[in-house]
Amino acid sequence: MAEKPILIIGGGPAGLEAARSIADLGYQAVLVEKRERLGGTPDEAHYAKLTPDLRDAPKAMQEMIDPVTNNPNVKIHFGSTVTSASGSAGNFDVTIKNSKGSTTENVGAVIVATGFQHFDPGRETQQYGYYEHDDVLTLVDLEKMLTEHKVVRPSNGQPPKSLCFIQCVGSRDRQIGNEYCSKVCCGIASKGAIEVRQLLPDCKVYIFYIDMRMYGYWENEIYWPAQEKYKVNYVKGIVTEVVKKGDGLMIKGEDTTLGRPMEIPMDIVVLSVGMEPSAGTREMAKVFGLQLNKYNFIETTGGPLDTVTTTVEGVYACGASTGPADLEDSVSSAGLAAMKAISLVRKAAQAA
Amino acid sequence: MALDLRINKYADVPMEEKQRLFDEVTRDERFEEYLYGCYECGICVASCPSARFYDFSPRRIAQAVAREDVDLVYTLMNDSIWDCSQCFSCDRCPRKNSPGGLITIMREVAVNNGLSSAQEALEGYGRIVYKIMGTGTQVSPDMLQPNAFPDWGPHVKDISDNLDIWRRALPPETLHTTETGWQVDDKTIIELYLIWHMTGVMNMIQEVDEGLYEILVDVMEERLEEEGYDVTFD
Repeated sequence: MAEKPILIIGGGPAGLEAARSIADLGYQAVLVEKRERLGGTPDEAHYAKLTPDLRDAPKAMQEMIDPVTNNPNVKIHFGSTVTSASGSAGNFDVTIKNSKGSTTENVGAVIVATGFQHFDPGRETQQYGYYEHDDVLTLVDLEKMLTEHKVVRPSNGQPPKSLCFIQCVGSRDRQIGNEYCSKVCCGIASKGAIEVRQLLPDCKVYIFYIDMRMYGYWENEIYWPAQEKYKVNYVKGIVTEVVKKGDGLMIKGEDTTLGRPMEIPMDIVVLSVGMEPSAGTREMAKVFGLQLNKYNFIETTGGPLDTVTTTVEGVYACGASTGPADLEDSVSSAGLAAMKAISLVRKAAQAA
Repeated sequence: MALDLRINKYADVPMEEKQRLFDEVTRDERFEEYLYGCYECGICVASCPSARFYDFSPRRIAQAVAREDVDLVYTLMNDSIWDCSQCFSCDRCPRKNSPGGLITIMREVAVNNGLSSAQEALEGYGRIVYKIMGTGTQVSPDMLQPNAFPDWGPHVKDISDNLDIWRRALPPETLHTTETGWQVDDKTIIELYLIWHMTGVMNMIQEVDEGLYEILVDVMEERLEEEGYDVTFD
């Protein structure tokens, strides 16, 4: 008996990589994407360049999308969500709904690749006045400006003379509940800092941090160049508040390594917002009965040695649906999920 | 002396002047090999002998310059760099920075621009500079003076009072002089004078110690004239 198709939920980097892997190996993939286009968060949030290699994001995502579209082994449901599921490993019936109605697919395994959402800096308290000051942005807002090659103060349309990133906004914070490190923001802020310096050489750029976390080659791909070539100012010390000063802003904090308080006028403040489980991730956990971890990401059961197996047999999760993940993690775990899903549908077919 | 970085001690010095000195430091051709970037790990401080005895931190030097904190660099150039012993233990930096090398550049900039702190810091060395540059020998017995070396203890006074006798009592050949350490060849001292003249060293001396400069110029010009060189220092 032929192998049943594998359902992939989410058309971002992880979902695309899983679909491509399955199709390349000659198996059938059914890809469900809630938006009308593929590319996931990098596309939806207008990423300009990828971290860490500063590749053009739309171009890089298109290279992931192309092998999946018009591929006889991949069936794509656009504008669709999975609303219910029944059955068990090797034989799931899932209901897929779009604006026109619903259809059912019979699949052998499921890969959840529903990703994350950016932390909303107004969620708990009005952190750093994001909804109060025009010139307080998030990494996402800055990405959009970088995509348009135009970084200006929203308050007056002028290019900034000073810009800072505040790290760990919505991450590593017991008060907020997100105790984890979002893993990518140090690299993304440093990448953004490089891009701002390239675009506006006269703009002084600061990064206020608790710890800089750019492991492996990110150290030399982003951190050192940002510091050495682009003269980005890394200050260990988190800003406590952003206040209005004249027609600009002022940040207050402590410069911990110099042991002195700091009050620096700033034209633009960028909040390095972390990752939270997306609505889709929480929803799919409900549909498939997957256990969530303390932070509402999908729980995986294999510790460091198996990053994709969930508490429900036959359902795998990859990318940022299981916790903060960079693109390297997402694509790698997607490949692993594809492999495990294929091996399950093969065994099921052989047993039948 | 404790260095209080919470106050801007030199707030009255114009920013343009601070920036000018900062640019002079970063334009130095050695600069790019002395500073890459600083992640403020403190390994340089841990290896620094001066940091154990003074409120001195090679890290603070590196990070202030790396952050392009022009105000702070000016403060450090006045109040901190003279506490460095230039031993270069800080060269063990994992980023391959050389805080000690940065300090070398900063000291040269401070001296070349006649910063009052440079004058103060070098005040005690006037006699040594005079000895080296006047005679070509580095140290001589008559430099052993109790007022110059109070930390050597009270017995220095007894010795310096009768230096000539102590000197004669030593078994090796001591030239029976207390003014030079050894004999310097005529050709050597003339070449030294010419080198200092041509490389701008005398201009540096003039910036920090006008009196010493005048004395040295008199000595050098006279000697050079005797040897047939027509050299003036101004």
